[in-house]
Amino acid sequence: MTALTFTQKTNPAFKLDCSRLTPNELIGLSNEKIKNISLTNSKNSPKVSDFFEVSGENTEIIIFKNPSLQLNYIGHKMRHGSIMIEGDCGDFLGASMQGGSIVCQGNAGDRVGDCMRRGLILVDGNAGDYCGSRMIAGTIGIYGKVGNYVGFSMKRGTLLLTQTPLHATIQDCGMHTLPFLALLFRAFKPLPSLFSNIQAKRVQRFAGDLACGGNGEILIISP
Amino acid sequence: MRGTRVLITAQNLKWAYHAANAMTGFATSVIGCGVEAGIERELTPDETPDGRSGVSILMFAMGSKVLMQQLETRMGQCILTCPTAAAFSGMESEDQISLGKHLRYFGDGYQISKLISGTRYWRIPVMDGEFLVQETTGMVRAIGGGNFLVLGQSQSQALAACEAAIEAMRKVPNVIMPFPGGVVRSGSKVGSKYPKMFASTNDAFCPTLKGLVNTELDYDIESVMEIVIDGLNFDDIAKAMKVGIEAACKLGTAGGIKRISAGNYGGKLGPHHFKLHEILGEKTS
Repeated sequence: MTALTFTQKTNPAFKLDCSRLTPNELIGLSNEKIKNISLTNSKNSPKVSDFFEVSGENTEIIIFKNPSLQLNYIGHKMRHGSIMIEGDCGDFLGASMQGGSIVCQGNAGDRVGDCMRRGLILVDGNAGDYCGSRMIAGTIGIYGKVGNYVGFSMKRGTLLLTQTPLHATIQDCGMHTLPFLALLFRAFKPLPSLFSNIQAKRVQRFAGDLACGGNGEILIISP
Repeated sequence: MRGTRVLITAQNLKWAYHAANAMTGFATSVIGCGVEAGIERELTPDETPDGRSGVSILMFAMGSKVLMQQLETRMGQCILTCPTAAAFSGMESEDQISLGKHLRYFGDGYQISKLISGTRYWRIPVMDGEFLVQETTGMVRAIGGGNFLVLGQSQSQALAACEAAIEAMRKVPNVIMPFPGGVVRSGSKVGSKYPKMFASTNDAFCPTLKGLVNTELDYDIESVMEIVIDGLNFDDIAKAMKVGIEAACKLGTAGGIKRISAGNYGGKLGPHHFKLHEILGEKTS
């Protein structure tokens, strides 16, 4: 079975809510039913078919082709499977995610992984403000730049970054060679992401958000 | 019996062995140690989850409860404490027992859980950095107590034959020989003249008692040594016994090896019987 693919047809002037386009929401649905899914719960809301070509059958692997920054909430409350975004996406990527993996090959908007509980999000490009905000657990990797307030109110979880624009309640714990990174980077190998090439053994570890217990961590890697 | 396998890795093989030797120490017999454990083999970096050198350990106990208790205790005192060491599951199984599941509380709230490719690991902050341990490992039904005896003309000749046997047997996967150097000199029989003892010296094979008891030894046999094998399945134990006996017999009568025998305890000790003639591919008489 080929991956379920959403190819964006037009770039709308408004944000689209893609929270219903996850493996756990789409499992068992035919392409015809998927095309008729409302992108929001409001009256006269747009349908999937208004903006996407839908092809493929395997709902465990979802691909967004020709995506744009208007696509919000991709992977929202996702529990299993994988989502690949072949370009940019909007805000709240992987928000409240509970499992599975998301790879974004472009840039992502604000609040990547907001309230994320489990799973993996990798962004090859840049991410906006509040990346990893209110994160409960899981792993987020941002290969490019990040906006302000990274890890704001994060409780636990791991953020992999390549730079350090951190706020006051994220504290430096020094340089380390962490054994679990070997396992993590090995798990990245098969993924279509820049993270699959990371060789770094040493990271700078920051703990935070200290305002929320400080059990989260931000690891700065040198790819 | 129940068995499990644990993979121990470290900065290099030297420290992997330090950890593994500590973990498998005082684990020669379930009678007095709770478990029987040993190093199965060395692992190359390609074979370990974290890409470092390591060793695999097999551990056996009479029941799952004892195995769990012993594994947790030994993990805490021998692997957690050993610099640079990490521990991972060495087998897939429906039955899972704790490897780092409870050990994580040593982290005093600073421990971190990571779910990587569907497997849960615990990162416990320790003074040398971080101790990485998989949450659980598999547990399977296993077989303990396969054995054979090497009857030699002298003590040194019997030991030389046993050393040759152990070297060959260590190449067989899924088995360990839990006694010191893989060899036992104090084979036992069931029961004793003392009511509180349920095992005592195997007098029929003690060379110094040849004139006193109903001996199994010829007059020219001066030393007997036993090799005990624990394994994950019957076939691998049988294979280990075969290569071990063949290696010992290569020394021949000229090398002082007079006979190979085995302790069968009247066929009453355990459900599995390793019949030497069948194992060596000979017809039974």
